[in-house]
Amino acid sequence: MDDLNYREEINKAGSIDEIENLRIKYLGRKGLINQLFQQIKNLSQDQKKETGLKINEIKKEIEKLLSVKRLELEKNKKEEFFDPTLPGKSYPKGSLHPLTYVIEEIAGIFQKIGFIRVSYPEVEWEYFSFEALNMPKGHPARDDFETFFIDFPENKKYGKMILSPHTSSGQNREMSRIKPPIRMINIAKTYRPNWDATHTPMFHQFEGLCIDKNINITHLKGTINYFVKQFFGKKRTIRLRPAHFQFTEPSFEVDVSCGICEGKGEIKGKKCRVCKSGWLELAGAGMVHPNVLRMGKVDPSIYTGWAFGFGPERCMMMREEMKIDDIRILYSGDIRFLEQF
Amino acid sequence: MKIKITYNWLLDFLETDASPFEIQKYLSLAGPSIERVEKIGNDYVFDIEIISNRIDTASTFGIAQEAAAILPFFGKKAKIKFNPLKEYKLSQIIKNKTPRKSGLKIKIKDKNLCSRFTAVILDDVKIAPSPSFIQNRLKAAGIKVINNVVDISNYLMLTLGQPTHVFDFDRIVNSDGKSVTMIMRQSKKGEKIVTLDENELQLPGGDIVIEDGKGRLIDLCGVMGGLNSCITGNSKRIILFVQTYNKQKIRRTTMLTGFRTIASTYFEKGLDEERVEAALVFGIKLLEKYAFAKIDSYVYDIYPSSYQKKLIEVNFNFFEKIMGVKISANQIVQILNALGFETKEEKDKLKVYVPHFRKYDISIPEDLVEEVARIYGYNNLPANFCPPAQIFQPEEFEKTFKIISKIKHCLKHLGLNEVINYSMISKNLIDEWELDVKDHLKIKNAISQEIEYLRTSLLPSLYKNIKDNEGKKETLKFFEIAKVYLPKIDSLPDEKYRLGIAVNTDYFDLKGIIKSLLVDELNISPISLKKNENDFYYKFYKNDRWFSIFSHQNFLGVFGQIKKGSNIFFAEFDLLSIIDCYKLLPKYQPINSYAIIKLDKTFEIGPNLNFENIQNRACKSQYLYKIEFISLFKNRLTLRFYYSANDRNLTEEEAKKELEKV
Repeated sequence: MDDLNYREEINKAGSIDEIENLRIKYLGRKGLINQLFQQIKNLSQDQKKETGLKINEIKKEIEKLLSVKRLELEKNKKEEFFDPTLPGKSYPKGSLHPLTYVIEEIAGIFQKIGFIRVSYPEVEWEYFSFEALNMPKGHPARDDFETFFIDFPENKKYGKMILSPHTSSGQNREMSRIKPPIRMINIAKTYRPNWDATHTPMFHQFEGLCIDKNINITHLKGTINYFVKQFFGKKRTIRLRPAHFQFTEPSFEVDVSCGICEGKGEIKGKKCRVCKSGWLELAGAGMVHPNVLRMGKVDPSIYTGWAFGFGPERCMMMREEMKIDDIRILYSGDIRFLEQF
Repeated sequence: MKIKITYNWLLDFLETDASPFEIQKYLSLAGPSIERVEKIGNDYVFDIEIISNRIDTASTFGIAQEAAAILPFFGKKAKIKFNPLKEYKLSQIIKNKTPRKSGLKIKIKDKNLCSRFTAVILDDVKIAPSPSFIQNRLKAAGIKVINNVVDISNYLMLTLGQPTHVFDFDRIVNSDGKSVTMIMRQSKKGEKIVTLDENELQLPGGDIVIEDGKGRLIDLCGVMGGLNSCITGNSKRIILFVQTYNKQKIRRTTMLTGFRTIASTYFEKGLDEERVEAALVFGIKLLEKYAFAKIDSYVYDIYPSSYQKKLIEVNFNFFEKIMGVKISANQIVQILNALGFETKEEKDKLKVYVPHFRKYDISIPEDLVEEVARIYGYNNLPANFCPPAQIFQPEEFEKTFKIISKIKHCLKHLGLNEVINYSMISKNLIDEWELDVKDHLKIKNAISQEIEYLRTSLLPSLYKNIKDNEGKKETLKFFEIAKVYLPKIDSLPDEKYRLGIAVNTDYFDLKGIIKSLLVDELNISPISLKKNENDFYYKFYKNDRWFSIFSHQNFLGVFGQIKKGSNIFFAEFDLLSIIDCYKLLPKYQPINSYAIIKLDKTFEIGPNLNFENIQNRACKSQYLYKIEFISLFKNRLTLRFYYSANDRNLTEEEAKKELEKV
């Protein structure tokens, strides 16, 4: 017992590892101290007690010496440098087109209030885009929807083949698919022959259509109000202004309050640069024209309805994050644009 | 259509306590939108967007009428203080006993061309600058100031919404020196006229024109007068000319010639014949006062069918049905009267007589609801949710949108970038890919060669994406989900959703992406590759470096290395086939708690031995659990084989025996 030279060994130890080895050597499960305790059982009762106490003292001393030396070594040890500010491991980062997020968001918002998303032809017959929407041949309202025509033989019943300039052609298609009640949202690519910083020959629209018994203007207002608050935020409000569309009567322009000046039209006495007097034009809407219902074989004396048409691009660019000064970048395929989303 | 008028101009007709900005605010909510108010000198300029079916509001007086109806409902005083439609009557002029020395010989060859024809000859005109109030108002309206006669003509249009024209009588006078012949007829195809802006127009035929009896065209009616008969600095005897024309005819002319003027914009909307009289009388008054004109002829007024009051009957409860709020009979009547409608109440019904200036835009009860609702105030209507209704989304739509979304998010997380390309491509791109333009739908009126044909595959566009982005980023991995348009005979094309992927990395990168998507994300398993001669795709790909992908017997798509360029890899899938094979969950395999023995083995691969051969052989063992690719060095392929039995611990010896068979 007395030949243990732990004091010297501990004193000599030069590293934490050595201290650990010494701890195992003396205090470990099979260490020297435990071996000494094992030997006690061969001694007499008196010796047992005395020796036991002594071993315990040595054990305590070793523990103390080890911990003092460990602290001393830790203090002196040059700490291994750990930089928690280094970047985390890289994972592949792809992107979705920003309109994908916007369209999924819009579809989700309407799905919650029971509107089903549908899909109808992008290449359409004139009939569905015009005649079925109360715009007979030669009607000047057709001028508002400049149209791409397809080089294809005219159909006797439905007229020329076109690229649909709006999603409203889905109104008649949905009325042919099912009878009221109708709660439809149609989000699709649409086409018009304009190409500049604010127009692309292909763009998107989403059309809402609700036809049922006892549908009135307040339902249109409520639905658009709900959408605006979900999509743009609770603080935003809407207003309806008079407008004219051939396929709705009454017809409205829908404005949303400006998010920058909060609808005041000015910021600290200066005119808001984003909006017109506190409001931004958002969409066209109205109560479905009785002729449109009749064309869809829906009886306007029983049913009424509303419809609206929004531009997802416009909705997107009216959000804070997306200030785009040239809309063509959306369809440019430029990786420096795409990879940001 | 937009017009500009001023606040003071408006006050010629309107008495109100509303400020210019209050007028802007309230009219924008309930009538035409006043987009801007700008202070210029002592006046304010309104920039007004005219609602397309409300041409009756496209003038100072028209706006005054709207303001007089709208402002009182916002608590502002407003009323018409001078109504030119009532005050300016031909009777005032005809009473005048001036000598009638000159005359017109008018022939209208087709009754259908002109619903009201008025004209008067004025003598002793002195061409000079117009008075400053007219000049200032025209300048504010954005109209060029020329001289008193021309300015008055323009001023009439903006004041009353009726375009007018002035001819120089002496430039078209007959040889008798006191008459002008005017033959109104349809133009013949190819006839020519030089308009007063000195443009020569070749007419499409069927346009409304006036001929002077000597074969010369002197007016392209409703669009622009002829250069040969226009006012000059020396004009002395003039014809003031005020008409309403067949709107379809005017529109046809502007459409076919592409030549539009402010006047034609008015005429093609269809003008109110009753306003012609006021415009003519006001015009004579202004010319007398500011151009020293004296009436020198009869006042010609050819007006075969005068306005018959249009009657609409509507039930009172119809207003509530559409507006969704209770509205009293009183309120309805009050609003309609303020807008100039006469009304007669009969029990539950209301008889409404449409004023002449609204005859084109008001024809059904819904039109009356719009009038009442806008003045009542859309802002005063509550916002309600629609009554609940359960409509089921057709399964095909539901599945399509759901799986498109899954695919997009999966590919994003695999590091790909989604792109949206135009549905149309150029002939060049079609040729470049050796496709046949005849297999593509062509746009007749494409505005650019870049977007002339509807694509039948996503790959040419994706190829262009890779090319366009070279140098911007080293590694490019694009995908797109969009429709392609496959022409059919006598019907709309097949619009098929496709998924296209293009990468500039390597073959195995693309193959890995496809496996992750189809097997790991969409649970389409097993998938197999087949070399085949797909008629459509063989033009795209490098021989032997492309394959068709099947799940059982279902063709899903193709992938491989393309022929063109050095290092571009493409895949294109038919989305509906993917959707058909999609599973929400993969098949569950019970967890095997017995030992798994891992063994590595290296093979020399070559024309007679490839991975697939090895795999096929290894799969013959009932104990094979999976194969893992470890490395490929030159042609030395190292694989790790996992063996396990499902009812006991397999020994290493047994596993080795299995592997030896491979």
